[in-house]
Amino acid sequence: MKIKLSKPNLKIPKIYIYGIDVIKNLGFFTLYIIITLLSIAFIIAPAIKHFKKNQKQYYNIKTQYLNVKNNYENVLESLNKLKKENAKIIAAFRRDFDVKNFKMFASKFMEIKEIKKDKTKPFKKDFIKTVYFIKATINSPKDFYDFIDAIKKYKNIIRVYFPIDFTKKDKKINLTLKIEHYRLKDKKALKAEEKAH
Amino acid sequence: MKAYSFIKPKKKPIFKEDTKLWLIFITFSLILYIFFALFLALKAYFFKQDSQKLLKEIEKLKKQTTELTLQKEFIYTQKAIYEDIMIKNALVKQQIKNLLDLIPDPITLEKFYIDNDKLIIYGITPTKDIYNLLMLPPLESIFEKTTTYFYKLPNGWYKFKSENYIKSEDENQTK
Repeated sequence: MKIKLSKPNLKIPKIYIYGIDVIKNLGFFTLYIIITLLSIAFIIAPAIKHFKKNQKQYYNIKTQYLNVKNNYENVLESLNKLKKENAKIIAAFRRDFDVKNFKMFASKFMEIKEIKKDKTKPFKKDFIKTVYFIKATINSPKDFYDFIDAIKKYKNIIRVYFPIDFTKKDKKINLTLKIEHYRLKDKKALKAEEKAH
Repeated sequence: MKAYSFIKPKKKPIFKEDTKLWLIFITFSLILYIFFALFLALKAYFFKQDSQKLLKEIEKLKKQTTELTLQKEFIYTQKAIYEDIMIKNALVKQQIKNLLDLIPDPITLEKFYIDNDKLIIYGITPTKDIYNLLMLPPLESIFEKTTTYFYKLPNGWYKFKSENYIKSEDENQTK
């Protein structure tokens, strides 16, 4: 005996409102929502996360950059100010000793008979000092004091150093003293100085 | 048996109009999402690029700041050396001045030699007592060792040589 089973009706019923298939449109709407949600979850959200991370990093770095730049500008400004204030000293440390010019400068205070160059030595890390022995004649000790006072304004950095010898001769005083000229160490200049001795 | 119709057969579309609209809308939305994501990725890439540029700039600025700071320190060093030298020059002047002020009126100074640790004075004094009374005490108070040699002159006055030694504190300070 054969039992006939009726086939189940799997067909989606069609509901039309004003000629629109409601079920199909509802299906497409659901599909649209699913695609949108999936896109947000797997495409847009990671992109926003990545973007936000990079944006935050950028602004952090930019703040850091502005701080560093500000600091740099402050240091540069203070350096320029310092250079301006000490321009005379900076320039003086870069000048070579000019015997003729020194004689001319000292002639206001003494009559220089002889300037003898001695040795050049390194001084501290970046400087050199050259020793000169001077034989001169002065009218009174005041000339010597004035000479020392005037050295402050001279274009080179000069130190008056011992031994100093005062010998009275007639109405004048014979003076022997040592001076040290300080300047920046310039490798070429130092080699030239060393060769000269 | 074949069936015939009097009307022309119409082409049946694969998709109906509303289906087409939905498909276009969904595809367009998907493309929009992808473009938006791409736009964000591109922006993020530019942020990253800019960040890297800024990082390089920061490194450069830091290096330059260090150089400037070194320059500043070097100027301070030069200034300190200059001031030290000028102070020492003033001290030399003061030392000579003090020495000459030390010589009392009756004594005539002929020569003096001053070094870091010694002072040698040559002069003429009317009597040994004047020298011992007026000049020797201040010399002895300044120097550790004082030796004086007298030579009698034909007029009865004395030529003297005074040797004075000290352990110099200032000795080669700038070395």
